[in-house]
Amino acid sequence: MPKKAQHNLLEEGLGRGLVWRAREGHPGASDRIEPSGWPVLDECTGGGWPKGALSELLSRRHLGLSLLLPLLARLSRETRWLGWVAPPHLPFAPGLAQAGVALEQLVLVREVDTQERLWAAEQLLKSGRCSAVLLWPQALQDVQIRRLQLAAEQGDCMGVLFRPLRAAPQASPAALRLRLLPSPLGLDVEVLKRRNGWGGRHCTVRAPLIQ
Amino acid sequence: MVWFGLYFPELPLEVLVRGQPLQGPLAVTGQQDGQLRILRCNAAARKQGIRPGQPLQAALALSGELRSWPRDRRQEQEALQDLAHWAWQFSSLITFEPSLLLLEIGASLRLFGGVDALLQRILDGLAVLGYQGHWALAPTPMAAGLLARESSGSRVATRDALLDRLAAIPLARLTRNAEARRLLDDIGLVSIADALCLPRPELARRLGPEPLQLLDRLLGDAPDPRPPWQPPPRFAQTMELQAEVSHRAALIFPARRLLLSLCGFLRGRGAATQQLHWRLDYREALPANAFEQGLLAPSGDPEHLLARFRERLERVVLAAPVIRLGLRVDDCLAYAERPGDWLSRTAPQDDKGVLERLATRLGEQRLGSLQGRPDHRPEQAVAIAPVEAGGGETLHRGWLPIWLLDPPRSLKLEDGVPQHAGPLELLSHSRRIESGWWDGKDAARDYYLARNPGGERLWVFRDRRDGRWFLHGLFD
Repeated sequence: MPKKAQHNLLEEGLGRGLVWRAREGHPGASDRIEPSGWPVLDECTGGGWPKGALSELLSRRHLGLSLLLPLLARLSRETRWLGWVAPPHLPFAPGLAQAGVALEQLVLVREVDTQERLWAAEQLLKSGRCSAVLLWPQALQDVQIRRLQLAAEQGDCMGVLFRPLRAAPQASPAALRLRLLPSPLGLDVEVLKRRNGWGGRHCTVRAPLIQ
Repeated sequence: MVWFGLYFPELPLEVLVRGQPLQGPLAVTGQQDGQLRILRCNAAARKQGIRPGQPLQAALALSGELRSWPRDRRQEQEALQDLAHWAWQFSSLITFEPSLLLLEIGASLRLFGGVDALLQRILDGLAVLGYQGHWALAPTPMAAGLLARESSGSRVATRDALLDRLAAIPLARLTRNAEARRLLDDIGLVSIADALCLPRPELARRLGPEPLQLLDRLLGDAPDPRPPWQPPPRFAQTMELQAEVSHRAALIFPARRLLLSLCGFLRGRGAATQQLHWRLDYREALPANAFEQGLLAPSGDPEHLLARFRERLERVVLAAPVIRLGLRVDDCLAYAERPGDWLSRTAPQDDKGVLERLATRLGEQRLGSLQGRPDHRPEQAVAIAPVEAGGGETLHRGWLPIWLLDPPRSLKLEDGVPQHAGPLELLSHSRRIESGWWDGKDAARDYYLARNPGGERLWVFRDRRDGRWFLHGLFD
């Protein structure tokens, strides 16, 4: 496809996204978009992260947090919390602070087993008190993802699941699914699924430390 | 309107014994026909043949272990007030009759997810508080009260169903006034159904104006305005302890019930508290032991408050056996007034507070926030703080990882090159750290950004004292 045609398609897709947004108007709607802060990522995801819905980041080693940092920094200026359920390591406070994330908005839930982390994530998602909830789950069944998706809609909260690559073939109600691979320049992003648009697009988000 | 009548048949005994988990036969006594008689007794007493109405002497002959106390009507009155405090979370229109609480719940049904869910909550809550309630649902307050007494478990929504349900109830039960009861008995009408069969002029002639009005109110044919109970601005309740309490741990039980009552009160106002005043009255003529308990953050969660009370209790010295525990809260903080609170936003319902729910189920130690600390050693530069106490400061600049491995993971060397899923390529030297000699956790390290063959970016350091390599952080 010539570059110009591709650009027009994107324009059209964005346009449709805007029509959707204008029509929604009611809280809990899941077709609204938060810009990610990475222009290349916004371009291939149709505008950024879906609000009030689930996004999945699939990678070999829980990658993708850096993609979220600009958004988390912005959301942490709100009064709502940022929930982190079962992060795989200790988040390095100075690193997050440097990215602009206000640490006092973080709510960490740690050392919880499989069931507890799902329960905790669901509670936080639907509470209406979190602007985003990040979850590092163990294996997830379809019905569990659906519950989380509903909770995200209910609480008007962005839910992000960090999942292994092998979850890619599994059907998922998540609004956005990205496959992430480390590359010499940063992260290679492949869009597996997005709402009101087409999957299969690629982009590379340059890691800030390789500038 | 949907009225929920709650009748407390065992109130005279419950108010005396609910402060403690007492075992064995228990009874409350009162003067009847010039004799001290059993008024109410518990199951253990009934098992031994003790019945209400028995002279106390006869009851003691049946059971030597029987413990009994004289009835205390003042305490029963107070208990109903306390129950109204607690019930304020379910209804904002509450009135009383003797041993009866009447709540208008029509307005709360949606909030609590329907009749059954609300009923369950109320009855469960009562059991935990140490009360047994007989209940009924009816369209008028008087019918709800009458049915709660006479036919517990009734659910009546329409006038026809109400007529049906009331039919067999003796007419004299319309009133608790003994004089009026005698008059009604003399009329020759046995049940409410008998009365309602008569043509109205005849009924009016035989009953007289006042009983007729009662009947009209019962059926909702005449208005039954009742002064709604207004909760006082502050909370104050006491719990009598029949058995001497000389161990602090025995105060947990009554404290829990007081806190449950308090939290119902707070929930009813959408409020929380940060300051509790406890008071222990001693059996001896000693000054009471009164102490304040401050909380870091306002709370309305009974389990949270109980956990704090347990901790505070550790520091309390009992000078003598305790006979009464009192709890007072002067300041109720509206949740909405707290800065940064969810109510200031357009968020959906979450009255209890998701954090307290998480802390209750998972344990508080599993919840936290992140705090930066001014220390050059990465592992000292981050700490888990209590929720909403995150923040802090940092000395770290430059390229920083998102994740920290604590403790650092030791890396193998091959041909002098550190390995992590393959040999590491050092991209740049990030910093040298020499710190911590003052607290014995000294560090002399050189940090590097590194990349492995899989493209993962890593934060590694070489310990300058022994030359070993460690993985300490992860980038994305």
